[in-house]
Amino acid sequence: MTAIKPILLAEDNPRDAELAMAAMEEQQIADKVVLCHDGAEVLDYLYCRGEFTSRLKGNPAVVFLDLKMPKVNGLEVLRVIKSDATLRPIPVVMLTSSREERDLSESYSLGANAYVVKPVEFHQFVSAVKELGMFWGVINEPPPERSGSGH
Amino acid sequence: MASATNVPPELSHSQPREPESLRVSTLAMRREPFWRSPVLWFRSLTIERRILAGFGLVFVGILIISAVSYRNTSLVVANSKLDTRSHELVRLLANIDVTLDEAENNHRRYLITGELLYLEAYQHVVEQKPKFLQYLDNLTEGSPEQQQRIDLLEQLIDRQLAAEAGAIDQLASHGFQAVKKMALEGAAKQELRDIHRLIAEMETSEQQALQRRVLESASTTTGTIILLGIGALLQLVLLAAVYYLIRHDITERRRVAAELQRRGELLEAANKELESFSYSVSHDLRAPLRHIDGYASLLRKAVTDSLNEKAARYLQTISDSAKQMGQLIDDLLVFSRMGRQEMLQTTVNLDQLVKTVLYDLRLDLQGREISWTIDQLPEVPGDPAMLRQVFMNLIANAVKFTSTRPIAKIEIGIGQRLPREIVLFVRDNGVGFDMQYAGKLFGVFQRLHRADEFEGTGIGLANVRRIVHRHGGRTWAEGEPDKGATFYVALPTRRPRT
Repeated sequence: MTAIKPILLAEDNPRDAELAMAAMEEQQIADKVVLCHDGAEVLDYLYCRGEFTSRLKGNPAVVFLDLKMPKVNGLEVLRVIKSDATLRPIPVVMLTSSREERDLSESYSLGANAYVVKPVEFHQFVSAVKELGMFWGVINEPPPERSGSGH
Repeated sequence: MASATNVPPELSHSQPREPESLRVSTLAMRREPFWRSPVLWFRSLTIERRILAGFGLVFVGILIISAVSYRNTSLVVANSKLDTRSHELVRLLANIDVTLDEAENNHRRYLITGELLYLEAYQHVVEQKPKFLQYLDNLTEGSPEQQQRIDLLEQLIDRQLAAEAGAIDQLASHGFQAVKKMALEGAAKQELRDIHRLIAEMETSEQQALQRRVLESASTTTGTIILLGIGALLQLVLLAAVYYLIRHDITERRRVAAELQRRGELLEAANKELESFSYSVSHDLRAPLRHIDGYASLLRKAVTDSLNEKAARYLQTISDSAKQMGQLIDDLLVFSRMGRQEMLQTTVNLDQLVKTVLYDLRLDLQGREISWTIDQLPEVPGDPAMLRQVFMNLIANAVKFTSTRPIAKIEIGIGQRLPREIVLFVRDNGVGFDMQYAGKLFGVFQRLHRADEFEGTGIGLANVRRIVHRHGGRTWAEGEPDKGATFYVALPTRRPRT
C-alpha cells in the first residue's frame, strides 16, 4: 500500500522541478512523483477536481510545497490542508529558498511537518531531495486512510 | 552671543553691491535716537536671552515700584504724626496765651485789692513755665524756625513775669498809690502784647506747615496709587508672558511629538519595504544560482566521458561562482538582518562566549598550530547572538590571516577599562595590513587581500561594526603588513539608551 502512494511535488519553477526530478530519478522514485505547477493545482489534486477528477482516490504519501507559487501560494495551500479533517494527516514538507524566520515560524504554526531550505549547491540539493523522497515516500509510514476515502 | 555679534556684518553682506546704501545706513545709525541702541541690542539676543532680559526688566520695575511706594507710604505716615503734633502745638499755644492773659489780669486785681488769692494764677505760671516750655520744645522738634520763636517766647514770658514781680515788690514797699498806674494799665502790658503777637505768628506758621504737609501727602498718595497701578500692570504683563511662554512651549512640544510620530511611521514603512526587498532577494536570487550549479552538474554527468580537463575546469568554475554568489547573498542578508533585528538586552559573559566561538571554529583549527593568549574577559550588556557574531568574525579572521604562519599567535584581551566603556581586542601575528587602508576595513564588501590568497566575502567586519554600533560602541584596527593586526572593540559597560 505504501509503495503505490504518490509523492506530490508542488514546484512552479520548471528548472527546479527538473532538478528535483533528476534527484528522484537517482533514487528511482521518480515514477511516484506527481508534479503540480501551482497551489491551485495542488488543491485540485487533493480534492480530485479539475484535471484530477478521475485520479485514483486517496491521499498522497507526502506533499512537498514551495512557498512562492502563482495563484495560491504555499502557505495558503498549507492552511487549507491543515484545516481539512481529511487532509490534515498528510505530511507536508515545506521546500523553499527562503530562510526567513517569518516563513519558518508561520509554516510551523500552520502545522507543517518539516521545513527544508533548498541548498544552492546542486550536490547538496540532490542529496536533500533524495533523502526527503526516501524518508517521506518510502521509509515513513503514512497515516491510515479514513473509512470512506479509501480506494 | 556669537550669533548676536555676527548679525550686523551679515546684514551688510546682504547688499554687497551697494556700498552707497551702506554708508547711508551707518550715518543713519549715528543719528539714531538714544533708545534705539537698547532696542537693537534686544533684537540681537537669542529668544532665551530675550525672555530673560524681559523678565529681568519687569522684575526690576516691580522692585523699584515697591521701594518707592514704601518710601511714599512712610512719608504719609510721618506727615500724619507731624499733623497730630501740630494740632497739639496750636492747642497748647492757645492754652499758654489764655493762661498768661489770666495771670496778668489777676495780677492787676491783686495790685488793686492786695488780695493774695489773685496771685495764684501768677504763681501757677511761674511754677509751670519750665514744664510748658519743655513741652513746646518737644512739639516743635525738627523745626528750627519755631524753636527760635519759643526761645523768644521764653524771654518774653520771663520779662512779663519779671515786670509782674517788680510790681508786687513795689506794692509791698510803697503801697497802692505807687502801683496805681500799673494796676490800671497792667504791669506787663507791652510784653503781653508781644507774646500775643508771637503766639499768633507761631500758630500761623504751624497752620501753614500743616497745609503744606496735607498737600504733600495728597500728591504722594496719588503718586503711590499710580505707581501701584503700574506695578499691578507689570505683574499682569509678567503673568501673561509666563502664560504665553508655557502655552507656546506646550504647543511646540505637541508639534515635535507629532513630527516624531510621523517620522517614526515613515521609518517603519521604509523598514517594511526593505524587509520585503531582502525577502525577495533571499528567495528569488537563490533560485537561478541553484539552477546554474544544478545544470552545470547535470551537464558534467551527461558528458562525463568526452570531457577534457579544460572543459571540466570551466564547469567547475561555473559551479564555484554560483556557490560564491550564494554565499554573498547569504552574508548580505545576515548583514541586513543585523541592522533591523530586534536587539536582546541581557548581560553577556564574554569569557563563555569566546569559549563557544572557539568550539564552533574547531574544524578550522584542525592541523593548525596556534598559541592562544586569552585574558579573563568581563560581562557586558548586549545581545548574546550578535556579540557572538562579532567575536566569531574577529577570531575567524585572526585564524584565517595567520594561516601562512608556522606558529600563529592570537591574543584576546582587554585593552582599556574606562568607567563607561571597556576596550577589547583580538591581536594576531598574521599578514596584517597597511594602515592607509584602515578606513576601508569595516566597509561592506571591502577586501584588502586577493580572493586567491584568503577566501571570504568581505562582509564580516562590516557586520562587526554594525553590531558594535548598535550596542553604542566603537571599532577600529591597527596593523602592519606582514607583522599582524589588532582589532579593537569598545563596548559600553552600561546599557545604552534606545
